Amino acid sequence: MHLLDAVPLINALILGLSIASIWLIAALGLTIIYGTVGVINMAHGEFIMVGAYTSYALQSSIGLPFLLCLPASFAVVALVGLVIERGLIRYLYNRPLDTLLATWGVSLVLMQGVRLIFGSDPKYIAVPQIFQDNLAFGPFGLSVFRLVVIAITAAVVAATAWLFYRTRFGMQVRAVMQNKEMAASFGIDADRVYMITFAIGAGLAGLAGSLFGVLAIVLPTMGTAYVVQAFLVVVVGGGSLVGSVAAAGLTGELQSVFALFSNDTFARFLLYVLIVVFLRFRPRGLFAVAKARR
Amino acid sequence: MGVLEIHNLRKSFNGTKVINDFSFDLTELTLNCLVGPNGAGKTTTMDLITGRQKPDSGRIVLRGDDITGLGEHEIAQRGIGRKFQVPAVFRDLSVRQNFEVAYSRQTNPFRNMAGRQPPGFAPRLAEVTDLTGLADRLGTEAGLLSHGETQWLEIGMVLMQDPAIMLLDEPVAGMTEAEIEKTVGILNRLKRTNTLIVVEHDMGFVRQIADVVTVMHMGSFLAQGSLREIEADARVREVYLGEPEV
Amino acid sequence: MTRNLYHDKRAQWLLYGAVFLALAAVPLFVSDGFLLNQFATYGVYGLLALSISLGWGFGGILNLGQGIAFGLAAYGMAMTMQMQSQDPDSNPIPPFMLNNSLDHLPAFWEPFWSTGGGILLALVIPTLFYVVFGSLMFRARVSGPFIAIMTLAMLSAWYTLILDMQPYTNGANGLSPPSPLTVFSTQIDPYSPTAYWIVCGLLILATAGTKLLTQSKFGLVVQALRGDPERVRFLGYNVAVYETVIYAISGFIAALAGCAWVMLVQYVSPAQLDTNFSITMVIWAGIGGRLSLIGSILGAFLIQGGQSYLGDQFLNTWLLLLGAFFIVVVRVMPKGLAGLLELALGALARPRRGDGTGARADGAALPAAGE
Repeated sequence: MHLLDAVPLINALILGLSIASIWLIAALGLTIIYGTVGVINMAHGEFIMVGAYTSYALQSSIGLPFLLCLPASFAVVALVGLVIERGLIRYLYNRPLDTLLATWGVSLVLMQGVRLIFGSDPKYIAVPQIFQDNLAFGPFGLSVFRLVVIAITAAVVAATAWLFYRTRFGMQVRAVMQNKEMAASFGIDADRVYMITFAIGAGLAGLAGSLFGVLAIVLPTMGTAYVVQAFLVVVVGGGSLVGSVAAAGLTGELQSVFALFSNDTFARFLLYVLIVVFLRFRPRGLFAVAKARR
Repeated sequence: MGVLEIHNLRKSFNGTKVINDFSFDLTELTLNCLVGPNGAGKTTTMDLITGRQKPDSGRIVLRGDDITGLGEHEIAQRGIGRKFQVPAVFRDLSVRQNFEVAYSRQTNPFRNMAGRQPPGFAPRLAEVTDLTGLADRLGTEAGLLSHGETQWLEIGMVLMQDPAIMLLDEPVAGMTEAEIEKTVGILNRLKRTNTLIVVEHDMGFVRQIADVVTVMHMGSFLAQGSLREIEADARVREVYLGEPEV
Repeated sequence: MTRNLYHDKRAQWLLYGAVFLALAAVPLFVSDGFLLNQFATYGVYGLLALSISLGWGFGGILNLGQGIAFGLAAYGMAMTMQMQSQDPDSNPIPPFMLNNSLDHLPAFWEPFWSTGGGILLALVIPTLFYVVFGSLMFRARVSGPFIAIMTLAMLSAWYTLILDMQPYTNGANGLSPPSPLTVFSTQIDPYSPTAYWIVCGLLILATAGTKLLTQSKFGLVVQALRGDPERVRFLGYNVAVYETVIYAISGFIAALAGCAWVMLVQYVSPAQLDTNFSITMVIWAGIGGRLSLIGSILGAFLIQGGQSYLGDQFLNTWLLLLGAFFIVVVRVMPKGLAGLLELALGALARPRRGDGTGARADGAALPAAGE
């Protein structure tokens, strides 16, 4: 009796985990770009989109297996990110509002560029048959692919954490974040750190894109659906990796549980409102600390 | 009774006591220099008086009126004007416009939509430009002023507020000798009609302007008196070790 | 002192007057109703660009969610017009509600029986929402980029809500009132010069009012807090109130635009609250010149005009170029096209002035102090 009552809730929590993993992998690249470089990258959604198209193109032209498409998308979008950082972002590091606007221009260019190349009709990314099954344990179930997304997200988060907390590069990144001038006096090239971080963040978006291309269809406009979500995760989490993991987990589960009582769209509305109210009370702790003024 | 009284002020950041049981009285129509080694808590004290930071405990009383914990704009409206250490002026507005904004007798947004300037602006502007010597710079964009001029502009802006007390945080930082000399002149004229607290490192400058010197050390009150008394004080000598320029 | 004509207040008003006159004269030369209707919708875009210029250009509040005021007002207007086609006794329920098996009119639709009351609500509700949401944000002293994200998130929330409330809002299909707006028992044909002049009049009034506002002491304080809100606070102004007021006025102008838009096209859908549309408004102002009201308005005309005259065939290329140009604007000409005019007029003024000291161009070569 009790167990039966709990079935929908537990299913919702399982689904919530899946939603959380999607939010998280969408926000991961944005998190390290915002957290490290301080850039609000409005083109993040389009980085995701370009990742999806990369997978599609590689698969349909040379028949690259899906699992190899993931690193390929990472590499291609990281390269795109690198070019954009060198050509534009690096000139705007001290102008946060301007980066926001300029990257929005970038998003428009990427979206239209892809539209001109691939057209506006939907594309699909094929996955191995086994990914399309549903996995069920009694009354609980989830599709295999969603499990794959959860696993990949966990692996990528772990790899990112390792990179930023356990390697020499990570140490340099944190040094630059704390004090650029002092880091420079120890011979750390902040410019190079920013460039690499931006490229990695873009690459992560590309990887997310090839996953999302399977979960949904591939369209030039698909990025816009993810960018607001990704921002909310980053903003609620405060720009740190741990923060984003927590924020994605919380928002994913909340959305899934809210949907139990209403429906998907209304759940999302409730969540957005909750986040805005939450940000009213914790704006500084989560975004940037107040700067000292003398 | 001082015009500004500070009672047992305390403030900690992450467990570090930055202001520790600091008390202080300010006498009307004096220029009081607040000195102390780096980290003594001078700027934090300014922040606490002006409402930028809220004290953990203690009271700040302005003319018998408890202003502890009020917002920055409320404290400013009650008559405390502040000049920042790094000059803060509106760089893309003209000098004149900077003074207009600073003339904040009317702060209600809707009233300010109607009229251009509340009465009394013109004579006040004349007074302030005369004192700061910026009369021929009124049309210039503030961002184009020299460093010294920017400092005088901000002093002038604080004056436009017509404050009961002016807090000036290192007003001569980064100035040339000639500019410092002019600033000394300005402050010595000001102290005849105004009450001022000046935070300063440069003892040579303090010597030229101070009526009273208050020494802070580790967030607490250490000593107060005329410059001569302070220079003779053994505790002060100890704090300053090498006694710079004394 | 700069002698740049661009900064001359009388010259500015002269330019504004000339543009107003030209706009008002359009129906004298254009007899095609469809074209006139299209021009009138540009007027609506002009209002939106004006509202962005006021909030972002003057107040420094980058609002990526201006679609909230525009969309909510548009829905209010559409509801009002829809109810004009219903009859309280014989036919009280709009058809789409019947299709969604509602058997009575939802309570929040009731006030829209009254045309005056409906339009009033269409203007008041978005403005009130801006007051509440704005004071929430501004009292928390959130930073500029943060405001952009919060407004964007709020816009998404409204979009989702309206999309979701299918029985009450007709979801993705939106509302399309069957007949044009009727006021004082006169029907306003959206293809008539009257409709055009109503929009034109709104644009002129709103622009002149905003221009006066920016020239008032209030406007000066707002421009000051754009650069350094903390300094303004220490001068005794309640910055959060000023920001909320400017944000709400900007929202009110967008709400006017929303009403006018539905009057012209007899249609509203969640697309009016789409994030892309709201960001497009920012692009109009950015390219036209956010610091100039008239520049932003003309930016909207230029971009939307260009978009419709290039036709669908070149639309994608056009948008690509637009994005690229916007990047250029942000990167090297933050004052947009109006800034180019400022530079040109400044260059014209220079020879007459000789090489006087303290002039803008000479002073600019000085190292910036205090940084």
